[in-house]
Amino acid sequence: MRTVIEAHDLGIEFYRSRRRKMSLREIVLKGKNTAPKDTFWALRNVSFTVKAGEAVGLVGGNGSGKSTLLKMIAGVMIPDEGGVKVRGGVAPLIELTGGFLGELTARDNLYLAGGLHGLSKAQMDERYDEIVDFAGPQVRAGMDMAYRHFSSGMQVRLAFALITTLDEPIVLVDEVLAVGDRAFREKCYLRMENMLAGGKTLFMVSHSEADLRRFAERGLYLRQGSLVGDGPVEEIIEQYNADVDATR
Amino acid sequence: MILLPQARGVIARRQVLDTLVRRDLRVRYASSPIGYLWTIIDPLAMAAIYFVVFTYIFEARRVGYQPYVLFILVGVLAWQWFSQCATETSRALLAEARLVRSTNLPRELWVVRIVIAKGIEFVLSLPVLAGFAIYFVIAGQTTVHYRVLLFPLAIVLQFLLSVGLGLILAPVTVIFTDMPRIVRIALRMGFYATPIIYGVHAAPPFLQKILLLNPMAGILEMYRGGFFPHELNVPAILSSVVITFITLVAGTIVFRRLEAPVLKEI
Repeated sequence: MRTVIEAHDLGIEFYRSRRRKMSLREIVLKGKNTAPKDTFWALRNVSFTVKAGEAVGLVGGNGSGKSTLLKMIAGVMIPDEGGVKVRGGVAPLIELTGGFLGELTARDNLYLAGGLHGLSKAQMDERYDEIVDFAGPQVRAGMDMAYRHFSSGMQVRLAFALITTLDEPIVLVDEVLAVGDRAFREKCYLRMENMLAGGKTLFMVSHSEADLRRFAERGLYLRQGSLVGDGPVEEIIEQYNADVDATR
Repeated sequence: MILLPQARGVIARRQVLDTLVRRDLRVRYASSPIGYLWTIIDPLAMAAIYFVVFTYIFEARRVGYQPYVLFILVGVLAWQWFSQCATETSRALLAEARLVRSTNLPRELWVVRIVIAKGIEFVLSLPVLAGFAIYFVIAGQTTVHYRVLLFPLAIVLQFLLSVGLGLILAPVTVIFTDMPRIVRIALRMGFYATPIIYGVHAAPPFLQKILLLNPMAGILEMYRGGFFPHELNVPAILSSVVITFITLVAGTIVFRRLEAPVLKEI
């Protein structure tokens, strides 16, 4: 199997203080920027490879660098050290409704958001029914309504339906494996399973052991920005739980 | 090598660019019942004000070329494009923070799309200008010169200038939050530091030299060349070409340097 994600010596440094944003007044009055310079590495020396078709779950506590790692794989954050190579396109289930605008109708939004993810108008025409069917009858009934009049559940259902119809071979998931109410969540799970069965590569961040066990085969364990575990997902979850219990 | 890879990256995603521009225009025209008319009403109102103030109150007809209405209108329309670009590109990355965080596109796109969307509005307002020009030609107050061919070149030049400036402003604003205020003041000063309501010839000689440093002076000269039979101010045009190129290169460098820190901030 060929490698689709290759991270080598990945590192990214953040400022601890929000005051890094300079203020003009301070620079003019004091002649310098007094924002503290202390920084920390959110992620450092992280190396791993993922092969095509693998399903990888990223495990770790809050602030361990999981989302940051996901963003670097998605290409929406740039590492300060090392690099990550991704072969093939990425369907990011991150900030699902990011491409949607409240003022426009749901239909316009769907075409525009599809365009942002690289689908042409013709491709969108083809998939339109499939996407809206998946999102459900309530959504279909409101496709000519302003998007902001949708309930938040309906908004995210439409967005989920769109992103999961992208043909990209790699799927990145940040917690939102399933959205909406209970019935819809089950539909989401089924779709994810179908995508995996279809040979897509899954890279997911989750705090839900059930989701991890259900979808991931391999686990990566991040602790304070370092990769401390890489193995079958069951072992990684145990390792993580043992660590959490030990510090309690 | 700079400029080329960035330009190639943006061109490779022209379909997305097209989507974004359509989105901008649709939002702009969907939120108002007379949508398109606002594109024209605003500059027309400004031109009317300047016309009344400067021809009837100050009686300063010599500061521009005749017909003065046409002279002002060219300036106001082009300036509107420029100033809207500067204002909006300075917020480009912050305003679309959620999209920038969730889609892996060449980040320059967020700047270019604004300049194009505003440029389309500028082009859509040109029929008004053409209407006035035709009226004054028929009335025998001016003639259309072959130098009108400079007009499209001026559009290209202004496009490049606005992109260059936007590439500097957009990332700087994310890190330096006071930037939009500075831009606002600079634009207000820029309006008078640009030969919009007056011609370069009306300024005293030492100020004429300073105006050479304003790239919009040369660009306006190119826009006006075809409608007014005055002698073309070639130094101003050459200087605006040079300054535009410098701005574009500087913008590309600044944008690339600040890209990683900016992505951490938004």
